Amino acid sequence: MDSIKAFKRLGVRYMLLQALNFAAVIASGLMIWKGLGLVCNTESPIVVVLSGSMEPAFYRGDLLFLTNPASEQYVTGDITVYKVPGADIPIVHRVIETHDVVSEGYVAASPLGQKQLLLTKGDNNNANDIELYQGLDWLEKRHIVGKVRGFMPYIGYVTIAMNDFPQLKYALLGGLGLLALVQRE
Amino acid sequence: MEREVIKVNNMNMTELKNACDDAVKKLLSQPDLFIENHTHTDVKLALGWASVLIAGATALYGWKVEFEQSKPLVWTGVILYVILTSLSTLYSFFVEKNTVFVGKRKMLAKRIETERIIISSQTDFPSSAPAKGAAHEPPKYSVTLQYVRSSNSGKSLLAKSTVNSVKGYNEFFDEAGTMDQERFEKWLAGLVEKVVEGEE
Repeated sequence: MDSIKAFKRLGVRYMLLQALNFAAVIASGLMIWKGLGLVCNTESPIVVVLSGSMEPAFYRGDLLFLTNPASEQYVTGDITVYKVPGADIPIVHRVIETHDVVSEGYVAASPLGQKQLLLTKGDNNNANDIELYQGLDWLEKRHIVGKVRGFMPYIGYVTIAMNDFPQLKYALLGGLGLLALVQRE
Repeated sequence: MEREVIKVNNMNMTELKNACDDAVKKLLSQPDLFIENHTHTDVKLALGWASVLIAGATALYGWKVEFEQSKPLVWTGVILYVILTSLSTLYSFFVEKNTVFVGKRKMLAKRIETERIIISSQTDFPSSAPAKGAAHEPPKYSVTLQYVRSSNSGKSLLAKSTVNSVKGYNEFFDEAGTMDQERFEKWLAGLVEKVVEGEE
């Protein structure tokens, strides 16, 4: 209860400062995430693998780092993370077919202006992903969250554990919050 | 005077310094001494909370609006956030520095005289390991008081002085970490008196 006494003694400014210490940690986290997303041109620069459909390349709990450079087309063999409208979780699967659509006004020197159709499949699945596309026949570039550039095995298990046991998440957040409120730099 | 016992962890230099800084503020901001000027804190609070609000708004916007569409405003938000946090850091580093207390008071003696005092502090660590057999040198609380007396709303300088003093933390805290507040205040009051009277 020392901190409550300290609050009384030091007044509103002190409380605002302590609350700011706490809020600044969260704010910097959010901004690092958003900044990273902008630099990598993807809404989610880091994802956790939730299924075993890409084994033996990736296992449940692996952390993946994604980028989605606007100046690149996807090629067969790329491992992509995609999210089709209507599905709530992104899926990590490999591109097995690409088709560059040649439409009217096609300029050979700028293939990026053209639509690209993609088909994907999980390395560990028997069939391709058409079933997962929620009625679409092909994936398009706008459905792709990013291409996998690197991974760290198992680190993501922390988030899987926190999703499975929400209490763990609240305990961790609460603990960190309390620490930030009580501590002075 | 009835007072709260102040007890800190002796091993933690930050706690020791914070306890001393708090005691400085408490003593100097007594009604019959100085009126504290909170500009440094207010600047940092304004910059800090502005950056937090921008971060929150940017994150919320980025969450609500589809990624491609949200990019321009999210860029704006992230850049603003970086600017504000950098400003706050630069302010602490170059303007506030080690300042603990800024205060002033006005006196009416034939004319209005304004007295300003700025107190800054830092912890001095022993420069090297003690020679064999020599006493262990403790970390020290180093405090600097700057004093300016002026009249004519700051245009005529009447007096200006600076006093610096360094004392080991062991003089103010016992082995259990309890602060000897009277001793600290006596020391500090002596320094204030000295700087106000303008002795170098």
